[in-house]
Amino acid sequence: MIITVTLNPAVDKIYWVEHLRICEVTEEEFLTRALRSATSAGGKGVNMSVFLSGMGMENVAMGFVGGHTGHVVVRDLRDRGVTTNFIWTREETRTNITVLEKGRENVPLFIGEAGGGVTPLELDRFLRRYRRMVGRAEWVVLAGSVPPGVDPGIYRELASLAQAAGAKVVLSAGGEPLVQTFEACPYLVKPDTREHRELLGIDLASREKIIEAGRHITSCGAQMVVISHQVTGDIAVTRDAVWEIRTPVRTAEFRNLVGADDVFLGGILFRLVQNDPVEEALRFGLAAGLASAESEEKVCVDLRRIEAEMEKVTAERIEREGT
Amino acid sequence: MKVREIMTRDLTAVERDVPVRELIFILENAEMPNMPVVDDDGQLIGFISEKDLIRAALPGYFELLHSASFIPDMNQLSTKLMQIADDPIEKYMRREVHYVTEDDDDLRAADLVIRQGVKNLPVVDAEKRLVGRVRRIDLLRYLL
Repeated sequence: MIITVTLNPAVDKIYWVEHLRICEVTEEEFLTRALRSATSAGGKGVNMSVFLSGMGMENVAMGFVGGHTGHVVVRDLRDRGVTTNFIWTREETRTNITVLEKGRENVPLFIGEAGGGVTPLELDRFLRRYRRMVGRAEWVVLAGSVPPGVDPGIYRELASLAQAAGAKVVLSAGGEPLVQTFEACPYLVKPDTREHRELLGIDLASREKIIEAGRHITSCGAQMVVISHQVTGDIAVTRDAVWEIRTPVRTAEFRNLVGADDVFLGGILFRLVQNDPVEEALRFGLAAGLASAESEEKVCVDLRRIEAEMEKVTAERIEREGT
Repeated sequence: MKVREIMTRDLTAVERDVPVRELIFILENAEMPNMPVVDDDGQLIGFISEKDLIRAALPGYFELLHSASFIPDMNQLSTKLMQIADDPIEKYMRREVHYVTEDDDDLRAADLVIRQGVKNLPVVDAEKRLVGRVRRIDLLRYLL
């Protein structure tokens, strides 16, 4: 069984507009009408759950939800075949808004809420339920931001509990939750560098610096670290090699980048769970992320399309251990 | 049709030591009229509903609940509920639970839902661990 944990899920609201007007002076009319919109369950782990479920891989989504938006998240997940196991909170689940302007979909406007707080009682209830579930899991995904009021070291505790139960841990986070958790030796680490192109004090400006940061994390116990290099490329550092995964696809072809990075990681996990070689898992992951980025639907689960995208993706082993 | 094809895959449940006050919060927010009770292995050990809480608060009147006119004073219900609010739900849960497995036929689920008059029926695996629930609305949607 795969468990995904999204402590701070969201409702993803996406608007498509003809032209995004951002007024610089007060005007009588400043309405931007949406051509259309879409509402779906969101958050890193949630997006991975949706992808895995779409690939026919059963999984359980855990975390906190609250209020009307919490019901939107749970309902959408169930409709997409994901098993839900959330703790209900007093605070409402956050909403993240993306505006995609026609012809400029590759540079979206994104507004993300911080999310509602979680009380100590709600956290205790979650931990109890999590302990009950991890005993049945082979893989546990810990993904996304930590809600206000929760110690950023929470992922470290969750990773330790999962590993003690025999599960492999995938960590997709940024900032303090990442820093405090990678020493707990997750199997796979995907740092979130969207806000800061920096990791462990290392400026991720070049391929060499990315490899240096990745090696530091694997030296702490992780089996694999995947770090974004460019929008259409990533670098994976394993214990014995470094891989560069690339695609020549131009970013101008992207139609909806929301969740594509999560689908990328979901694609890697999908193939690792089936004991496929690292190279294949990386290629499939990037192909899945590309398929999502190139489609208007947030999470593309069309296997034929993903396999077609694999033709455009290369995974080159650029370094071996010690080189 | 098997239960696995019509069930709702949701594992929302409570443990036996959860206070009544907390259960009411969960029932309200999860919008569920009843809740399975599980142990630390996730095995189904009981079932508790809004009706069970009313029965606990006003046992003498419960059988007459089809008409609220038999309740002399709402304060009485409120006072009794406050008295039991911190009690663990195991004091009031039903230990004899009707359930189905994923491989049961839809007919068995429908039979239990109709005969027992419940809106949610727990679904368990071979180890009696909770894996979801069949809602009355799931059956109606499927039959339509």
